[in-house]
Amino acid sequence: MEGVKDILIIDDDKDLVQSIRIILERRNYGVRVAYNGKQGYDKIEAKPPDLVILDVMMATDTEGFDLAYKLKQIPEYRNIPIVMATSFPQAMAEQGPEKFQHILGESWPVSHFIEKPIDPEELLSVIEKILTESKKE
Amino acid sequence: MQLGYELIREQLFFRKELIERLPWLIRLRWIAAGAGLAGFSAVYFFRQTLLPLPLALIIFIVLLYNLLFKFIWQYVPPFKYQKDLTLTDSHVFNIRDVQSFSLFAHVQISADLLALFLAIYYSGGIYSPLSHFFIFHIILTGILLPPVSCYLYGILVFLVMGGLILLQQWSLIPIYPVWFQNGLFSNESGPNEIIIRYFTLVTVILVTSFLVTTIKLSLRTKGRELLRLSKALDESNTKLTALYEMVREMGLCSESKALMDSATRQAARIMGVKACSIKLMDEQKRTLRFASTYGLSEDYTKSKDSIDIQKSPINRKIIEGSVCAIGNIEERDYFQYPEDIRKEGIASMICLPLRVDKMVLGVFCVYSDAAHFFTESNVQFFALMSDLTAREIEKLNTQLNRNWFLQKSAHQLRSPMHTVISMLKVLKNGYLGPMNVRQEETIERCKKRIEMLDRLISDLLRLSISRANLSLDALRPVHAQRILKSLSGLFEAQAREKSVEIAFLIDESLPAIPATEKLLDDLFSNLISNAIKYTQPGGRVTVNLARSEEDKIRLEVTDTGIGIPDEASSHLFAEFFRAENAKSYTEAGTGLGLVIVKEILDQLKGTISVRSRIGEGSTFTCHFPIR
Repeated sequence: MEGVKDILIIDDDKDLVQSIRIILERRNYGVRVAYNGKQGYDKIEAKPPDLVILDVMMATDTEGFDLAYKLKQIPEYRNIPIVMATSFPQAMAEQGPEKFQHILGESWPVSHFIEKPIDPEELLSVIEKILTESKKE
Repeated sequence: MQLGYELIREQLFFRKELIERLPWLIRLRWIAAGAGLAGFSAVYFFRQTLLPLPLALIIFIVLLYNLLFKFIWQYVPPFKYQKDLTLTDSHVFNIRDVQSFSLFAHVQISADLLALFLAIYYSGGIYSPLSHFFIFHIILTGILLPPVSCYLYGILVFLVMGGLILLQQWSLIPIYPVWFQNGLFSNESGPNEIIIRYFTLVTVILVTSFLVTTIKLSLRTKGRELLRLSKALDESNTKLTALYEMVREMGLCSESKALMDSATRQAARIMGVKACSIKLMDEQKRTLRFASTYGLSEDYTKSKDSIDIQKSPINRKIIEGSVCAIGNIEERDYFQYPEDIRKEGIASMICLPLRVDKMVLGVFCVYSDAAHFFTESNVQFFALMSDLTAREIEKLNTQLNRNWFLQKSAHQLRSPMHTVISMLKVLKNGYLGPMNVRQEETIERCKKRIEMLDRLISDLLRLSISRANLSLDALRPVHAQRILKSLSGLFEAQAREKSVEIAFLIDESLPAIPATEKLLDDLFSNLISNAIKYTQPGGRVTVNLARSEEDKIRLEVTDTGIGIPDEASSHLFAEFFRAENAKSYTEAGTGLGLVIVKEILDQLKGTISVRSRIGEGSTFTCHFPIR
């Protein structure tokens, strides 16, 4: 079915969630939101989305990563693409990726990183690209 | 109990003594023979009496065999090698060598005794004034050879002189007159006087042997004591050096786990034991958990992973500040479950609190597979080690906490700004409906100001970390040209956007410099982005990385930009300073970029200089030492 694509935004910053929702709804994506990892997981369980936009640091510094990693362990959710929205890449550049290896395990559980502050056009092009690729598969 | 190593060391030491004194024997003989000749010459001069032929012959023979000994000492192995041997050359030590040296000493002393005996015989037997010279031989023997040899030579003198007197009394061999007979001495006295003379001589000789050997034995005891002390000193020196290395290695660690792994590994090595562990207390001070182990099996660490302090009397006592040293775990019921410890092959252990002042962090243990392995000095040394380790752990924790706090504060400050910027972008890009030009301009200005604030926070964070000396990464060799090349693409794009021409001239063959990739990245980025920022469209930026004449690496960033006014050049590296022309040219700029540059160069032991002409451009030149 070539219906409306369902995107789940998980971020504890309600204003940011609202901005992303506005951007996505303008492009006619179906948007659901969650304000923490637990809520997000529940919403995924209720209905797996086509794509997840995920924040890294929520209640804990690694809440986003923990959720992403958990999803990759579950066969039904393994293939859901994840876009991580964070100022994290900068922290990572400053501290080196090896510091995060224990969180990440063997492989990155994330399809794409997008740096905050979010640029609407960049976000849309990333989402479009990922969704086209997953459709091809 | 003496170890093999100690025995060899001791033997080497005494062998050295023997070797040093053997040539001394040869030298003394030259002097003795020379003195003999001088004595006889004097007698001839004063009394016009010639030396009796046998005595002259004896002196001649002594000179001759001394020449032979000298030759053997210098040219015959193993003696000819003696100069190359030192105490530390334990690998060349050979027990037969020592035997050859003792044998050589025996041969020399026997030859001398024989010569002296003959000289005494030909100069009047028991009445000969030369008979006192036996004392010298006894003393020499006592010094050079073991006590028993000294006594044997003493008894030999006693027997030979006794034999001589008997043979002469029974007229089996002739009696030679005492030399310079018409003088003080005469051998025409009766048997009583002979007996008295004989026993006096023998007593003197034997008492001398006793005294010499006693002195020598006491010297040897002192020598052994000295050796033992020097060995103990060597050992503690080695231990302290190792401890210094351990602390240095811990100081280089930027993560707690790495630091503690280094501590357990080094502690086991330095203490010479099979295993070591660090257990840390949780924040509630209720449980102890292994933070690092060395030489312990996974089964063991898992079985004791979480220790409830209230249920473990030993651990409770340690945390309260006691030393727990168990010589043999079998001897008393120290543990609730000794099987695990037994299975692990642990027979003795020391556990100490890891303590900084009064604060206890955890428990530091070393385990040996030998019972009663640890001595009191071991325990003291381990206490020193655990104190230093606790301090290093605490120091790193403080640094990490401060770093975490700074990073977290920066993140907390930036998050709302990022959201505001994201919202402004949504607004400006028309996602909430169209806007007029003035609204759009105002939003753009808001966005710019907040972005500035974001950069300011980044720069402040960077400066705080470097100012508080919290940068934990040690300098290591880095190829600056590689970092600069990886940045070139980014800055080419920036320059293109502003229609500024940019050229990178990079010497590919430069040697590595002590730095970190992050520091070089920050340094290059700040200087190049400044050059682009303050150059008008159509201008040109040149970045040149090459080797300088003073054998340093030189980075030169030249622009054709607005330049720096003379009055500003002395404030360039002051916090928040921006030159007037820079402020009016662009708002973007925190006034911290060059401060960061200067701090980085201080860390890298580099230098920076600026040449500039207002309206024509500036050149920033940095020099980095290669070593």
